[in-house]
Amino acid sequence: MIRPLCLFLAVTSAAVALSEERVDFNRDIRPILTKHCTTCHGGVKEAGKISFIYREKALAPGKSGKIPIVPGKPAESEMLRRLRSDDPDEVMPKPKQEPPLPAADIALIERWIAQGAEWQNHWSFVPPKESAVATISNEKWPSAPLDRYILQRLDREKLKPSPEAAPAEWLRRVSFDLTGLPPLPEDLTAYQDAVVKDPAAARAAVVDRLLGSPHFGERWAAVWLDLARYSDTFGYEKDPERDIWPFRDWVIRAFNADMPYDEFTIEQLAGDLLPNATADQRLATAFHRNTQTNTEGGTDDEEYRLAAVIDRTSTTWTTWQATTFGCVQCHSHPYDPIEHDEFYQFLAFFNSSEDCDLDEDFPHMKVPDDPAKAAEASRLEIQLSVLREQLNADGHALAESTTDWRPFTPDAFAPSHGTLAMSADGTIRSQGTLPRRCIQKVIGPALTFTAVRLKILPENDDPKKWPERGSLVSKFQVNLIDPAGASTPVAMKEVFVDHLGDFFEPGPNGNVGGFPKLEGPRWSVFVPANKIEPAPGSRLEISLAHSAETAGSQAVPVRRFAIDVSNRPEWTTLITDPQRAATWKSRGEMAGQYGAIKGTMVPVMIQRAARETRVFARGNRLAKENVVTPGVPKLLAGNAPKSGMTRLDMARWIASPSNPLTARVMVNRLWGELFGIGIVQTAEDFGTSGTPPSHPELLDHLALRFENQYHWSVKSMLREIVLSSTYRQSHRATKELINRDPNNRLLARGPRNRLSAEMVRDQALAVAGLLSPKMHGPPVYPPQPDGVWSSVYSGAKWKTSQGEDRYRRGIYTYSKRTSGFPGFLMFDSPSRDLCSARRIVSNTPLQALVTLNDPAHIEAAQSFAKRMAAAGAELPAQLAFGITLATQQAPSPATLAELTALHAAATADYQQTPAESAKLGETPAAAALVLVANTILNLDSAFNR
Amino acid sequence: MHPDHFARLQHSHLEHLTRRHFLSKCSTGLGAMWLAGATGRAWGTSTALKKDPANPLASASPHFAAKAKRVIYLHMAGAPSQHELFDYKPELQKLNGQDCPQEFLAGKQFAFIQGIPKMLGPQYPFKQYGQSGAWLSDRLPHFSTMVDDVCFIKSMYTDQFNHGPAQLLVHTGTQNLGAPSIGAWATYGLGTENQNLPGFIVLTSGGKNPDAGKSVWGSGYLPSVYQGVQCRSQGEPVLYLDNPPGISRDLRRRSLDSLDRLNQQIAEDTGDAETVTRIAQYEMAYRMQMSATDAFDLKQESPATHEMYGTQPGKESFANNCLLARRLAERGVRYIQLFHWGWDSHGASASEALNKGFMDRCKEVDQPMTALLKDLKQRGLLDDTLVVWGGEFGRTPMLENRGGGVNAFIGRDHNPGAFTVWMAGGGAKPGISYGETDPIGYASMIDKVSLHDLHGTMMHLMGFDHEKLTYLSNGAPQRLTNITKPGTKVITGVLA
Repeated sequence: MIRPLCLFLAVTSAAVALSEERVDFNRDIRPILTKHCTTCHGGVKEAGKISFIYREKALAPGKSGKIPIVPGKPAESEMLRRLRSDDPDEVMPKPKQEPPLPAADIALIERWIAQGAEWQNHWSFVPPKESAVATISNEKWPSAPLDRYILQRLDREKLKPSPEAAPAEWLRRVSFDLTGLPPLPEDLTAYQDAVVKDPAAARAAVVDRLLGSPHFGERWAAVWLDLARYSDTFGYEKDPERDIWPFRDWVIRAFNADMPYDEFTIEQLAGDLLPNATADQRLATAFHRNTQTNTEGGTDDEEYRLAAVIDRTSTTWTTWQATTFGCVQCHSHPYDPIEHDEFYQFLAFFNSSEDCDLDEDFPHMKVPDDPAKAAEASRLEIQLSVLREQLNADGHALAESTTDWRPFTPDAFAPSHGTLAMSADGTIRSQGTLPRRCIQKVIGPALTFTAVRLKILPENDDPKKWPERGSLVSKFQVNLIDPAGASTPVAMKEVFVDHLGDFFEPGPNGNVGGFPKLEGPRWSVFVPANKIEPAPGSRLEISLAHSAETAGSQAVPVRRFAIDVSNRPEWTTLITDPQRAATWKSRGEMAGQYGAIKGTMVPVMIQRAARETRVFARGNRLAKENVVTPGVPKLLAGNAPKSGMTRLDMARWIASPSNPLTARVMVNRLWGELFGIGIVQTAEDFGTSGTPPSHPELLDHLALRFENQYHWSVKSMLREIVLSSTYRQSHRATKELINRDPNNRLLARGPRNRLSAEMVRDQALAVAGLLSPKMHGPPVYPPQPDGVWSSVYSGAKWKTSQGEDRYRRGIYTYSKRTSGFPGFLMFDSPSRDLCSARRIVSNTPLQALVTLNDPAHIEAAQSFAKRMAAAGAELPAQLAFGITLATQQAPSPATLAELTALHAAATADYQQTPAESAKLGETPAAAALVLVANTILNLDSAFNR
Repeated sequence: MHPDHFARLQHSHLEHLTRRHFLSKCSTGLGAMWLAGATGRAWGTSTALKKDPANPLASASPHFAAKAKRVIYLHMAGAPSQHELFDYKPELQKLNGQDCPQEFLAGKQFAFIQGIPKMLGPQYPFKQYGQSGAWLSDRLPHFSTMVDDVCFIKSMYTDQFNHGPAQLLVHTGTQNLGAPSIGAWATYGLGTENQNLPGFIVLTSGGKNPDAGKSVWGSGYLPSVYQGVQCRSQGEPVLYLDNPPGISRDLRRRSLDSLDRLNQQIAEDTGDAETVTRIAQYEMAYRMQMSATDAFDLKQESPATHEMYGTQPGKESFANNCLLARRLAERGVRYIQLFHWGWDSHGASASEALNKGFMDRCKEVDQPMTALLKDLKQRGLLDDTLVVWGGEFGRTPMLENRGGGVNAFIGRDHNPGAFTVWMAGGGAKPGISYGETDPIGYASMIDKVSLHDLHGTMMHLMGFDHEKLTYLSNGAPQRLTNITKPGTKVITGVLA
């Protein structure tokens, strides 16, 4: 059914039913409800108006008027009666759908109701609490508190921990786990020497060296970039390039600097809103600009803007809260107490950023080529925007306080296309086919004015139907026609608008309205340098010209508008104020300085005037319902502000110690990376539909330790785990142990995990001596077969990198969404279309083809063979060097004999086929050694850590 | 347990004595570890199917007896016009050149049409063909000879009007990214009959990937082993299939023998069941090198066959891919997905115009797709091979007026309201036309078929109750027929 019970975690309800022990809702009752009841009586369906998601609903009368659960009174509880009914029309579950509940389960429910039917929140929604481990069988075994929890469980299962791993085994494991790279031969020798003298000190020294390595950040950033759905392209059809690699470098630097996880969280979710946000804090918000942008011709920008906003919402919940929040987009959560509206309240945090699915990927921040200029560029960028806001604010206030607006009433209409006419409501409407270059011209009796206001209106006045197709006036032109018919243009000096933050910068000549969508009425006030006083009998001709278009040559014409004028002298006074001119001038100079800084434009989050957020009926954006304001679900709100929350408040709420999920989810992720499987296996789902933790007390202990002892330091947390006795066990598994615990959930042995996609490549390059240590910068193009990239309407080409960029670590490889790097995809790296919390490890023949035949792996084998050849005069020494280099294990005589025989056979073969031999090496023996090197790199022990 | 996994290995001629000994020992010793580990760490939590992680593509039985053992899906990316191929509307001809009435425009969203377009009649003459009297335009002369084997569904509709999302909906049941493709579901449910070839193979022509990228053959939330493998009719058919220069097949065999023996020792030492699997995967890779090379070698075909398909070995073409599809079907590949490209007949350029490029597209597909049906039929394969042909949406009965202007050529805009899909073989009813559109071919009217209905029907033909082939993801048992869009029905009217 829905909730798979884990072999080790299932508590036999029958045992509880027989005893007099108190029934525990989460342990005993919730699993029964989830398995048998909530599909029909849950968050989606409330059959008979009954739901077992909330206690108050389960205790309230259903449609029949009967009460499912009456606390303390099993006999009056309709639920029990229906569970035990013999009447096929009454019994639950319905006989057609499911067999009856086991009698033991019903007895358990009865006792629970008799005991008062106490409800508990699902375990992960309750704050973690420390539970001490009193007695364990071997006080000497633990080297960290976490070991006590593992041993306590092993004691209960009557299992013993495995012996400690050999130094080389632990060193390989910890080196890959912390840096993603194998240890160097000298690291192995040094450690093997040191461990004899003082094992604890030797281990600690290794771990400190690895945590201090710049490669630490590269290895752990790979984990985070799966969650961030980081990619070097936009996604969707044309999938063009996106320059967002500075964010990847930010993540690497943050891990290397051991940025506390709470800060790491806040900066990525809302770094732009922090007081005096630094360039790096703003760059961090590119996390949520890794959403896809759809540039396909004819797509609706609002549809894909919302897709990005919804993705931000779901990704935030998967990444930080391991909650399947996406369910709530269409209806209340089927199993967990989260309501439909709450999805949209949370979505509202992300609904007011400037980005709107434009081909330009607007808005950006500049990341200067010269890092020394980063602070200056960011300061200028913010200052330019602050000054622009200030300059607009004066006119905005004036417009709001102006009461003498008089309508301009045209009596002649001259549209270039379609029709133009006054409508009954006093607005001017345009209909018909309105192509991109259309001009709408209206003429009427001239008025005296100091300012002209243009109101661009939606065709429909119902906000639920908004937004509409865009409505952007590219050029706004007013002409004065004297009684003799001579036309003089009125030069506008400034424009003020209702709000800034649109893609097109409004100016005195136009660029006002809504683009790419008209989200509601918009206004702009155009102010000429002097009051306009037309001679009697003059006429005003106002034209609205259009030239903007959305993806696929779609025009954005104005379809309904109104014009009025003001005579207040304050307008002229305002725009002729010398102080104002000075501000414009200094802003202009600032823009010049900013423009002179060379750099990469990186998409980031920038807040604009709030968009209204409405609930979508069944998740359908075209069926809008009530308005909601930003907020977090009641279930987890804790001490979050009750109203007026900003995105920054939300980020702080996630990063707060009172959030029951954040720390648990992160320590579980770290644990899963090290042990191959999390304490909660479903790292992406801590809710009722996820799997329960194998060691709930351990998870809580680690979460509290991460927050309190280590103040969210990832490095400290990892240090403790990799030095623990649990992690240091040998991975060797006896047959008996495998039968008991095939997936090593109890951890009576050490982990043995396959290398990740990036590690497979990095190891081959490292062993070959080819790996470039160069960090950061634009993505690189290691060799890839021809023809893999072939996106439609895209001229993008894979330009194989030359020099050291050919040999960079995997994390720097160009990541294209619609066409991933084949060697990585085959080793389970995700496409990065969406947030991915776990890579499910597969084991396929296509993987074997990659590591056996990929020219990059053959190049590595050739280089590796040369290193082997240089390592000793005789073949056995060369082979021993090679095997140790690739696996850290000294070869057995049998292994050496096997590879020696392979080498001999291959040498003999190559002596007969000199042309073939020459393709791999200079001599037959050298070519044979390449084949041996290729074989060593394909050893199972080279695929595991 | 997976006794057939090991049995298969044992039956391979390429098997060496030492390996055979080891693996047979495994089936009672190390191999037995899988029994306990069958719900192993690699596989998350599956709601309905128990898969053997050591052999996730093992051939498996469906819910009930299947009519279709394999599927060949011919996707015409860009969305071919039903008005110029299958859906004959004399009424539309009468309206040709008139302004589109307001009632056809109200509340509609178009990709490119703006304002008030003109109506556009069918651009090619139609006639009835075969015993079944199927209507076809004159653009498909070869295909007209096979219509009695074909089941036309004229009343398809979708809710997506942009190529990328619409193609995702066609192949994954949702317009959003992240869901598995039909082929992934098919191989998850049925495994594959030939372990020496990928179970789900994709072939593209036209030098382009589909608009939605590789996600249309992705595995979504299913394990990645079920994703489609894109093969090529030029160069190596499967990426990295060929041994590198300087390593002959004999030397590869010799090195794999050493590797197997060394890995056996590692498996004994560590007790790691994944190591046992890895040994088997390397053997499978070795056999795949030969099998795939053989399967993709079109030179083996007779001149008569080449003439029938219009194929030229070594070229990337839809014709070559059709012939390859038959060869792969013969070899037990479960799901074969072909993409042809260039059907987006807007009229904005010559290559995408009903009066230009469209004619070329028709020529490119007419002969080979007909040959594929004939060839499958004459080999007795059509009975249990379901062939599906279609685009991602239909086209408007209006002339496109991009951005409110006049296009250089004749074309039609995207229309999610109606399009035609045809099926043949594999339990689809031959010689019928199912469903109808309105008198101008604008919207499905009678016996409407959604893409989810099509999926449910395909699943049914493959032997599955579409509501029961599920996989737990995002907190719910997900399925091809999108749990958020209830109401999917199997179209019994198209079942033979």
